[in-house]
Amino acid sequence: MNTASYRETRRHELRKSRMLMVDGNLVSNARTVEGGVSARVYEAGYWGFASTQGEGVPVEQIVDKASRNARDMARFGERTALALPGDSYRGEHVFRGRAPLSPKEAVERLAQLHAWCVQRYPGLKSTRFIAGDEHHTKRVSTSHGSEVLSSIQRALCYVTLIAEDERGAPVEVSETLSSKGHLGDLDWSLEALAPQIDSLHEHLQAKRHAVAARGGLHTVVMAAELAGMLAHEAMGHPCEADLVLGGAVTGDLVGQRVASELVTMVDIAHTYDGREVMIPVYADDEGTPARDAVLIRDGILTEFMSSRETAARLGVGATGSARAYNPHDEPLVRMRNTAILPGRDKLQDMIAGVDEGYLLMKTVNGQADSTTEFMFGISLAYEIRGGKLGHAIRDTTISGSAIKVLQSVDAVSDDMHWSCSGYCGKKQPMVVSMGGPALRARAHLGGE
Amino acid sequence: MSDLNLQEVAQHALSLMRVQGFDAAQVVASRVAQEELNIAHNEPSLLRSTESQRLSLVGLVDARKASTELTDFGAAPLRDAIAALFTDARSAPQDEANAVSGGQQARIVQGPQASDPALLADKVRELLAFRQRETPRMMIDEGFASHTLARSHTVTSSGTELSCSLGFHSMSVFGTARDGKASSSFNYTGGACNDLAERASSEWFGIADMLRDTEQQIHTRPVGGKFVGEVVLTPMAVSDLLSWLQGQIGDVQLIAGSSLYRDRVGQAIASPLLSLRSRFDAPGVAALSADAFVAPPVEVLREGVLMTLTPSLYGSRKTGLRHVPTAADGWEIAAGEASRAQLVSAVARGALVGRLSMGMPASNGDFSGVIKNSFVIDGGVVGPALSETMISGNMAQMLRDVVGVSRERLDTGALLLPWLRVSGLHFS
Repeated sequence: MNTASYRETRRHELRKSRMLMVDGNLVSNARTVEGGVSARVYEAGYWGFASTQGEGVPVEQIVDKASRNARDMARFGERTALALPGDSYRGEHVFRGRAPLSPKEAVERLAQLHAWCVQRYPGLKSTRFIAGDEHHTKRVSTSHGSEVLSSIQRALCYVTLIAEDERGAPVEVSETLSSKGHLGDLDWSLEALAPQIDSLHEHLQAKRHAVAARGGLHTVVMAAELAGMLAHEAMGHPCEADLVLGGAVTGDLVGQRVASELVTMVDIAHTYDGREVMIPVYADDEGTPARDAVLIRDGILTEFMSSRETAARLGVGATGSARAYNPHDEPLVRMRNTAILPGRDKLQDMIAGVDEGYLLMKTVNGQADSTTEFMFGISLAYEIRGGKLGHAIRDTTISGSAIKVLQSVDAVSDDMHWSCSGYCGKKQPMVVSMGGPALRARAHLGGE
Repeated sequence: MSDLNLQEVAQHALSLMRVQGFDAAQVVASRVAQEELNIAHNEPSLLRSTESQRLSLVGLVDARKASTELTDFGAAPLRDAIAALFTDARSAPQDEANAVSGGQQARIVQGPQASDPALLADKVRELLAFRQRETPRMMIDEGFASHTLARSHTVTSSGTELSCSLGFHSMSVFGTARDGKASSSFNYTGGACNDLAERASSEWFGIADMLRDTEQQIHTRPVGGKFVGEVVLTPMAVSDLLSWLQGQIGDVQLIAGSSLYRDRVGQAIASPLLSLRSRFDAPGVAALSADAFVAPPVEVLREGVLMTLTPSLYGSRKTGLRHVPTAADGWEIAAGEASRAQLVSAVARGALVGRLSMGMPASNGDFSGVIKNSFVIDGGVVGPALSETMISGNMAQMLRDVVGVSRERLDTGALLLPWLRVSGLHFS
């Protein structure tokens, strides 16, 4: 269905909770509920958007304001309207998980985790725990005939342990858990977390004696926890159609080899391997039925993620990737569940095959670029020497041209790690998930 | 914007919280109206009008604390939110450091109080015309000119009453430059001001420089080799250094005992060339803290000496350190005596760093990052743009290793920062 005028309305409620406990002190204990109604109208080649909160404002009034805004844009001159592609969708997709955790239960669990860490690891300098969840409920109606009720829910828990190194300087390691649903759906009980915290504490002890990474190009094994970040930052952003239209180098590379043939990368809409993913999008905030966008197939760049408008500009189909973060945001092209698909190798074999290099285990954040040059921070990593793990290394950064790094991939593990704990930033924040297997490649590490 | 009486809303919520049984409470009623004219791919694309409102409630009972925010001011949602908040607070651990502000009084009316859609359109036209005329290889992927009016009324059970009506204009530009199949890294700049009409669009927030520099960053080369060199940080990169310092002197690091500066007030922690103070009256900034205090001017660094830490009321009561209210933003580093050109000419080997793309620095300040939108400096002369170049060092050491501060500064409203020359960075 292609039309040159278009209208959508969205009723959007966003509920969040966040608790931060530092050394047993509940520094933050906050809940927010944000609701609103928005309308976006496309007329004569321009967009108008309006939103409001508060009771009693009719939707028609918001639509009228958005229409007036679109018409007001005519002050910039006449423009040919695009025929916006994309089908319509009718459906309701609401996640129903376990019973929610009460605030009292959540606070008691944080206090229990802190007390356990203090008792078990007397040498700790500090502990920090964050627990929170976030729930978006959206009801989208469009002039294309879409009527969609959808919910996105995610819960997360961060555990940070801090000690002092030999010089008395603080050293920290963190573990992040995340899941679909609310804090009652995430298993962050002491019983579940104890083995992970024990492991984290061992890494902390190793990091107290960490050595600096040697800066430069190295063979690195990226644990599965990192592959999702690589997928998201390195090639995910440059495959967003608005960035392609903005001049990202990927625009000229469709059909060309951009990665090793071992690499297949997909932005998954809602289902992977027969199971619903963490951030399921059945129809986006333009009411477009969402489908998987296969960005790289066996190393070949195949397609981009698109909204109705960017699809029209590129002359391709819309993938259902237009999403808005809060009730006052207009939909932008955003990733959903971006993953590199698993291969056939075993992580231990991948490490054993490295004579000199690094095992990168945990990341903190990352950034993308239109050139595909990416970076992300590494908060836990070890040297590999003669196929065996050596010293922990201090915090560093991995970077490189995504195309060069992905072309150098020579092993892909057969397991997969998913997470949905972070925010993607691009004018608006966005909840996304990312996943992948362990990868072995050549990449640039920061260091002395 | 509707004539919602925020004072009445806030006082009503406070009275309901008293009835609920809170020992102490803080209420902020706020409403924000924004008009934003957007650019997409070098063309005007969308006019966005939003109105949002929020009630932020903090409640204390038996020295236990919780907070909540809601956007529906109706009687039933408010009653339910206060009841839930009471339950949340009673579930929280007892902490004698919990408290609310008392006796603070202020009425702030600042900046343009009304939107002028014609002015926003003129500024977008100017910007697009400049791009087409001066930097035609530049693609403005996203950009906007906007007006925001943020009104709020804050009351506490201890007699604080703060009223604020903060208007400001913003502009933002994000994009890349392209030449055939070659593309630059993305680049961006933006900021807030009171009188958008005062200057041409390109003269705000370093927009012209950013667009011109990005056109010079299409063709790049790696720095080549590993060495220890110097950098000249642009204000955008300086802001990363500033953020790290602010984290070190704020609540979380102070409470956790992991701040490097917890016991360093009165001592030199930075180069004597560095002085840092607040500008809480800057465009887009209100001189009020999040915990409902008037934020008077504060001096953080005087010629390298740490003058104060910045714990909130809670952080202060938790650590025993002096409470220093700070606004959400608004900082300036004092101008130096050298010109930007002089800073560059003093660098034997290094880089002019437009932006640091890096992970969170480690607790001890160690960092490594990719330098983006950057140029090589060789023998005091700026050369080609760089790609795939990393620097590593330590934030605390960088503060000490500042060897030059420019007399020129970039004003983005929230920040007024010079260019800094810093020695001792590892390039790879």
